[in-house]
Amino acid sequence: MPYPDFWNPKHEALPREELQALQLLKLRRLCEWAYATTPFHRRKFDEAGFRPEHIQTFDDLRRIPFMTREEWMASLQEKPLFGDTLATDPTNAIRYHLTSGTSGRTPIRVLDGTKDWDWISEMWCYGLWGFGIRPEDSVYFAFGYGSFIGFWGAHYACEKIGALVVPGGAQTTESRIKQIVELGVTTVASTPTYALHLWQKAREMGIDLATQSKVNKVILSGEPAGSIPAVKRQLEEAWGAQCGDTAGMTEIGTIMIFECSHHSGGTHIIEDHFIEEVLDPNSAEPVGYGELGERVVTSFGRGFIPLIRYRTRDMVMKVPASTCTCGRTWDLYSGGIRGRWDDMKLIRGTNVYPSAVEAIIREYPAIDEFQIYIWRKDEIQDEIDIKLEIKPGFEHTWPELQTRLAKDLAEAHEGLRFNVVRMDYGTLPRFELKARRMTDARPVARY
Amino acid sequence: MMTPTTDLLGKPLNEQEQEMLAVYETLKRLVARDDLPPCAARNLRQALASLWQATNDLGLQFEQLYEYGV
Repeated sequence: MPYPDFWNPKHEALPREELQALQLLKLRRLCEWAYATTPFHRRKFDEAGFRPEHIQTFDDLRRIPFMTREEWMASLQEKPLFGDTLATDPTNAIRYHLTSGTSGRTPIRVLDGTKDWDWISEMWCYGLWGFGIRPEDSVYFAFGYGSFIGFWGAHYACEKIGALVVPGGAQTTESRIKQIVELGVTTVASTPTYALHLWQKAREMGIDLATQSKVNKVILSGEPAGSIPAVKRQLEEAWGAQCGDTAGMTEIGTIMIFECSHHSGGTHIIEDHFIEEVLDPNSAEPVGYGELGERVVTSFGRGFIPLIRYRTRDMVMKVPASTCTCGRTWDLYSGGIRGRWDDMKLIRGTNVYPSAVEAIIREYPAIDEFQIYIWRKDEIQDEIDIKLEIKPGFEHTWPELQTRLAKDLAEAHEGLRFNVVRMDYGTLPRFELKARRMTDARPVARY
Repeated sequence: MMTPTTDLLGKPLNEQEQEMLAVYETLKRLVARDDLPPCAARNLRQALASLWQATNDLGLQFEQLYEYGV
């Protein structure tokens, strides 16, 4: 019997009115769970005068207070390690992951129970199956397997699908290229930037991945570039393979959108497991199909830390399911995640908040002024420089300061490499009013 | 506890869904026992977590399992 096109044919083609009825039922139960078990949500619901029983129609969703990253961070800082966001005892957890925070060294920390962790890979199964991964595939993960959630869920999803998984782990790029070719893998999972880097390095080694590897699919995640047509075209030509974009976040633990094998230019929302609202970032009023807005997510997955109406600050444009020819009834985000409504930057898959960088830099009294400079090396690799001036009289601290600051910044950002560069004293701009200490010199994406 | 005869949307369960849900409920009963050896207790929890995915994906149940350590 041939494989069906959908991982879950029952729900991926569910009529939208039934889909909404399912979401409504799950929403009410999720709110009941959160109110009964999670001090964070109980407090917020009480403050807003909201009770789970108020959820009677889908419009009642808007009665639920928003959850913000700032509130979550405040809870973590007030009550380390996890704040008051946990719905159950931490001893029920089997997994710990983190993502960089908005201020200083405090990361967002998350826990998952056994069924949550399995659910995380389940969401990847929807996406990977929809993109065309099958048991016959062998999938190479160009991924470091640290405490950053990254491709962990995709790894286990491929095992669940029955594909052969090759964990790339801690290896050099050259070693990874050799394995990709020698093992004849059919699929590579990578950030868009690193996929381009692999191709470029392979060329330097005299290997043309398009003709000398068996790779016919590249799974992209971690950066918006996976849905930028020019980057995608470049990647597909370089690898001689189809590229499929996905996007997720540590706060939900997994992906919530994926590009299917019909490549409509958008990413389907996994709507039986998430409610994705798109709102005006200022007024918080819903925006219509085809309009840019802010993603607000409610997740029916990880029950350990309920995520209800979480304001992501991601910039998206929702379009109807009919935009794609695959037959799914799930709406899409045209162009995937298009950017941010705040000043967070995504550097090689890692979130960087200028406020967090500044908080760490300010721990060094020898530093006078600084600038964060983000740029793209060789048209493919994003780099982040910290340009700084040393106060007169502290010059002798420079070599050690450079090493220590780079280490501190990396530790607060999942190992991301920061280039710490000393500037001559007095050369960086000074500010009397609102400081502008960040420049993003990367090319602007065109959709 | 009676195994439901409809899914979350009120549609009658087909034969395979009924069987899945019955196995799911059996696993819940089993993992609630405190006399299982570790090899059974932990593997049954793994199995229950997996079956939670299938039954949840198909809209047969939506519940949390932390009380079972899952």
